[in-house]
Amino acid sequence: MRPPARLFRTKAIAGLTSGALLVFAALGAAGPAMGATLVINVQTSDGHALAGAVITVRPLDGAPRKPAAMHAVMDQVDRAFEPDLLVVPVGSTVEFPNSDSVSHQIYSFSPARRFQLPLYRGKPYPPVHFEQTGVVTLGCNIHDDMLAYLVVTDAPYFGRTNQSGGWSADVPRGRYHVVIWHPRLRDNAADLERELTVGDTDRADLTLRLAKALEPAPLTGRPHSWDY
Amino acid sequence: MMLRATALSLALLMVSTSVRAADWEVSLDTRLVNSDADRPFMDAGLGTVRFGRNDSGLQLGRARLALTQQLGELWSAHLDVSAWDNKDRSPVGATEAYLQFRPYPRAGYRFRLKAGAFYPPVSLENRAPGWESPYGLSYSAIDSWLAVEVRTIGMEAQLEWLGTRSGHLFDLGVTGGVFGWNEGAGVVLANDGFSLTDRQTPVFGRVGQPGVAPLLGAEPFLQLDHHAGVYAGVEARYLDRVVVRVLRYDNRADPTQIDNVSNAIAWDTTFTSAGVRVEGDNGWTVIAQWLDGKTTIAPPGLQLSWPFRAEYALLSRRLGRHTLSARYDRFQVDSGSLAQGGGWQDGHAWTAAYTFNASVHWRFTLEWLRVLSSSYNRQDLGGPLLATETQLQLAIRYAFGSAIR
Repeated sequence: MRPPARLFRTKAIAGLTSGALLVFAALGAAGPAMGATLVINVQTSDGHALAGAVITVRPLDGAPRKPAAMHAVMDQVDRAFEPDLLVVPVGSTVEFPNSDSVSHQIYSFSPARRFQLPLYRGKPYPPVHFEQTGVVTLGCNIHDDMLAYLVVTDAPYFGRTNQSGGWSADVPRGRYHVVIWHPRLRDNAADLERELTVGDTDRADLTLRLAKALEPAPLTGRPHSWDY
Repeated sequence: MMLRATALSLALLMVSTSVRAADWEVSLDTRLVNSDADRPFMDAGLGTVRFGRNDSGLQLGRARLALTQQLGELWSAHLDVSAWDNKDRSPVGATEAYLQFRPYPRAGYRFRLKAGAFYPPVSLENRAPGWESPYGLSYSAIDSWLAVEVRTIGMEAQLEWLGTRSGHLFDLGVTGGVFGWNEGAGVVLANDGFSLTDRQTPVFGRVGQPGVAPLLGAEPFLQLDHHAGVYAGVEARYLDRVVVRVLRYDNRADPTQIDNVSNAIAWDTTFTSAGVRVEGDNGWTVIAQWLDGKTTIAPPGLQLSWPFRAEYALLSRRLGRHTLSARYDRFQVDSGSLAQGGGWQDGHAWTAAYTFNASVHWRFTLEWLRVLSSSYNRQDLGGPLLATETQLQLAIRYAFGSAIR
């Protein structure tokens, strides 16, 4: 017989009582000795699945592990960044091609990476290096309604929640620091961080319910040629 | 020979490169009109809409060519040329022509500079290319007046704090303009009053028929003294959903000035405008604009002022390729000194429009516009004091070019 699932409480109850964030981490039965599956679900304040939330997970035990740098692409399609959010390990390069017939001038003045890049049609540009962790907000100096984010992370486990608001990764047993981020979050940053122990189970679940409603999503369907 | 061929191919390469870099757009807007209105201001009448009863039938709405050329990374040039065919003496004119300097934002702030001829930042309705309204054909009374008489011929600087690009919900901006050649602004308002039209006076163009009352071919774009006009405004945005704009304009004309050759008078015009535009989910848009000002002339032995005021509220809903809009306008021009030649106008208007964007190239708009007005000047020239004018237009617009997509 398996041991009963126990409620993981760190800030979970505090979150419940203060109206901040609800955290339920249920640790299941014992699994393989090597590790377990970490499953994280993110819900909006009204209980709907939050797709596209960025999850970063860092182990608290053992030597710090850095993710391998990668090469990513953020294209410009129909006067919009495609995709409009990328999570990349620190040290990665990102290429910004322009598939539009019009020129773009992308920029960031975020402390994690300040840069500006004119993107004329059909002309390739060298990729941009991201050597510092943080959120990089991208805009276009010609098209004010263009907006995108790059999350540069040193966490060995990262990703984005799927349409059901879920994300999972296979991790060794141990203690982990989980951080949730989304461009439209209004919760305090401190309420979006959790510690979690993956113990003698084959699966660890963490459900995060936001305390505050999201900011409104960017408007869609508005012609790009209109004044912003 | 070889050298000449090389030079020629180099020149061709440069031309093709620069042509490729320019974004261009051509559009042709034709109208089927049914109107019971008085003759419009361009036809020496006091009608309050663009087409009068004699104009019912097929009309040219607008033929437009726009060019935007990048000049290096930070500068661009924009030219907007149109033909309107409203009894115009010059068939083609530029409604806007300017250079723009757009450096990249630094530390959350962005600076922009415009030089040339362009609209001051007042309208929240005319946000489509060519300073057109995507919510219908006829502009509000406020924006129609700007289209007819007001243009910045000078420079405008704008400084914005881009809060939405640094984790905040708001952007804030301040704008200042210095301009000349707008000392005729006010002449149409004082003589004709407000109207609801979409005919934009080309820069340095004339309004009305020369020598024919009431406008006598008025020239809004005049400079008679050495004073530069100024305006200053603020703008605040909440995400991409709400825009609030306030602007104070003063053309600083010396109202005692008269041009010795043309007898044109300087119109000292000031106004304050304020507006808000709210866009929500499901394609809803609400716009409200308000404008309050005064224009004054003081030729020898005379001092006349016309306070003016207009406001409107617009409600629109975009459903895919369909847009339904309704607008209510109110406007008033007053002069307390009838004995000296002043007059007044008072009115309100309802506009209902349906637009079908069939493709990026084809657009169809059906618009019904009814204006109810009382006008001292109209009665003074033998017309009725009170008038109800109704104009129905079907517009078919075709656009093409590299900027269309």
